[in-house]
Amino acid sequence: MCRRDMRRETERETGNGKREMWLTRAARVVRRIIGAPDYEAYLEHCRAAGHAPTLGEREYVAQFFEAKGKGARCC
Amino acid sequence: MQPLASVLLWSGISVLGAAAFGVLALSRGETVNAAWLLTAAVCTYAVGYRFYSRFLATRVFGLDDRRATPAERFNNGRDYVPTNKWVLYGHHFAAIAGAGPLVGPVLAAQFGFLPGTLWLVIGVVLGGAVQDFVMLFCSLRRDGKSLGQMAKEEVNPAAGATAMLAVLFIMIILLAVLALIVVNALKASPWGLFTIACTIPIALLMGWWMKRWRPGRVGEASAVGAVLLLGALVAGGWVADQPHIAPLFTHSATALTWMMMGYGFIASVLPVWMLLCPRDYLSTFLKITTILVLAVAILVILPPLRMPALTPFASLGEGPVFAGKLFPFAFITIACGAISGFHSLVASGTTPKMIARESDARLIAYGGMLMESFVGVMAMIAACTLDPGVYFAMNTTPAALAQASQVLGQAGFVVTPDFMRELAARMGETTLLARSGGAPSLAVGIAQIFAGATSVLGGGGRTLDALWYHFAIMFEALFILTTIDTGTRVGRFMLQEIAGHVWPRFAETSWYPGVIASSGAVVAGWGYFLYQGVVDPLGGINSLWPLFGISNQLLAAVALCVGTTILVKMGRARFAWVTALPLVWLVTITMTAGWQKVFSADPRLGFLAHAASLAGSTNPAAARLIFNDRLNTFVALLFMTVVTVLIITSLREWWLVLSHRKTAIVHEAPYVQTGYATGD
Repeated sequence: MCRRDMRRETERETGNGKREMWLTRAARVVRRIIGAPDYEAYLEHCRAAGHAPTLGEREYVAQFFEAKGKGARCC
Repeated sequence: MQPLASVLLWSGISVLGAAAFGVLALSRGETVNAAWLLTAAVCTYAVGYRFYSRFLATRVFGLDDRRATPAERFNNGRDYVPTNKWVLYGHHFAAIAGAGPLVGPVLAAQFGFLPGTLWLVIGVVLGGAVQDFVMLFCSLRRDGKSLGQMAKEEVNPAAGATAMLAVLFIMIILLAVLALIVVNALKASPWGLFTIACTIPIALLMGWWMKRWRPGRVGEASAVGAVLLLGALVAGGWVADQPHIAPLFTHSATALTWMMMGYGFIASVLPVWMLLCPRDYLSTFLKITTILVLAVAILVILPPLRMPALTPFASLGEGPVFAGKLFPFAFITIACGAISGFHSLVASGTTPKMIARESDARLIAYGGMLMESFVGVMAMIAACTLDPGVYFAMNTTPAALAQASQVLGQAGFVVTPDFMRELAARMGETTLLARSGGAPSLAVGIAQIFAGATSVLGGGGRTLDALWYHFAIMFEALFILTTIDTGTRVGRFMLQEIAGHVWPRFAETSWYPGVIASSGAVVAGWGYFLYQGVVDPLGGINSLWPLFGISNQLLAAVALCVGTTILVKMGRARFAWVTALPLVWLVTITMTAGWQKVFSADPRLGFLAHAASLAGSTNPAAARLIFNDRLNTFVALLFMTVVTVLIITSLREWWLVLSHRKTAIVHEAPYVQTGYATGD
């Protein structure tokens, strides 16, 4: 199998498939780069893992920030 | 690519890089264009990445894409998330690059542009990027464990405790020196202080927006924040011109010190979504955008370097910016950009939890560090485009300038007071003299480059100088304050964990007395060193920056010790030189620098000699200065002792394993086959 066939969860097409707007995609890339919460990614993860989401959006955002507060920033 | 074409391409890049180095090294007396410096750097990075990082990835580490990464195995859609390698590259770079690669090269420009550039370019390829790569690799194979945990498991428990203690002390010195840079940039600067002060309500608004009002809408909140930030920048110029409002934002360095400490304490106690995260988002946007724009601007105008390749201070060791000769102090002054121990905390923190496949680590860790080095080279270019007279007048106190006046005069590094007044007025400041710390002189350099680029592009040109200057100050101060927020918080967690061994309640992060006491202790720690730097007659940077450099490089030595131990235990001892050689170099420079800072007979260099020179002085501050010298001595000796202990324990471990007296047990996570499609 070729490397280019490799699919990662974060790259997988969402329900909108290829119709997903490039702007939405760009926004998701920026979110990841700056380390912002991405509830859509969490929902996709739950779908891929085959279980219902256990966190609502508010709980997800709250837990995300809590985990982020422990990370170090460099000099 | 066809093999022949590949050979020709890489031969061409190597020859071009060598030629650029030749031009830089052989130029004497004439002005060199920044293009040569950029060419030498980029060609070296390309060759290093193509060949050396590939060797590390395939032969030394044996990265295996069939092995599931922690992101895949523990995927929770939150912190363990498999992420596209280019996206993670951006995320990792934003986490590792801060003020260090901008400030260090500016200070090291005291020796001329050549020594710092060589160290940045060669140091990163053989040292800094290797350290980041080996740490990421080790953490990746250990479920994303931290440096301290790996030291404990792979070397021994004492090494783990030593590493943790080292990180805490280094954090305190780092926060003090970064805060000092901000204080020196904002003292008596109503424009600068107003803009930076505005970032606090802007961040609070953003936090409320994305947590309470529209949860998770970071994009909207960031866009609003960015617009308000630019508004605050422009409004700062108006504030500075208002005789009734400007005094509210005009403060002495001492007053700013107390404000910084108050800010650091509050920011570390508040919930992260309220202030820390929104500020972090703003600073990341600004950081990446400004760095990209700076790179384009430098390429557009290709400025000439007005600083010579080597200044007399390289061999004399009596520099007014900081004391000490080129060896070892150029290598201490530039830590971030060449090799930075702090990266080992990021490479064993969030990044390993987001890697989708092992081979991505090459681009993210090695490539990310190359980019940080490139930022350092750009900072060096920005500083060296300044007139050397302006550079020295800005980066030293009048006392230090007077001490070095003879050498400065002989070298022609002089500037008239009228010229400095005119420059300050152009930058919208009352004075630019004695703004040590590197940030203001870098801001002047960046302002000149941006103003030059806008005039090339047909823009307003020089009239924008003041705006660009304060934009650059805001850019630097914003991410220094982010480091202070997060650093104080991380220091607080570490202190709570340590104290929790004695009194378990203290380790509860939700127990407010413990939170307040530990935050207060961390702020008091860096605040003391900051205050000491602010009232230091020689400007503080002179003593604090070398201490920071030594501590940061020693943390890198700790990381390389752990990395070498793991390679030895993995049965890759024949490749252990990849981490052992940078380790030997780091230990040599840090121990030499530490020794000289403590024991040199020159009062400008040695802490103890400086204290002795003050004995019997009528100076009312003498007692305090003597105490500070002794405290700095203690800190330097503590760092040196900690690393010596770690090296001895590591050496013992290597010897036991290599002589088969001990079975090598590697604490890698068990092999799990990836569920993703793989193959080459």
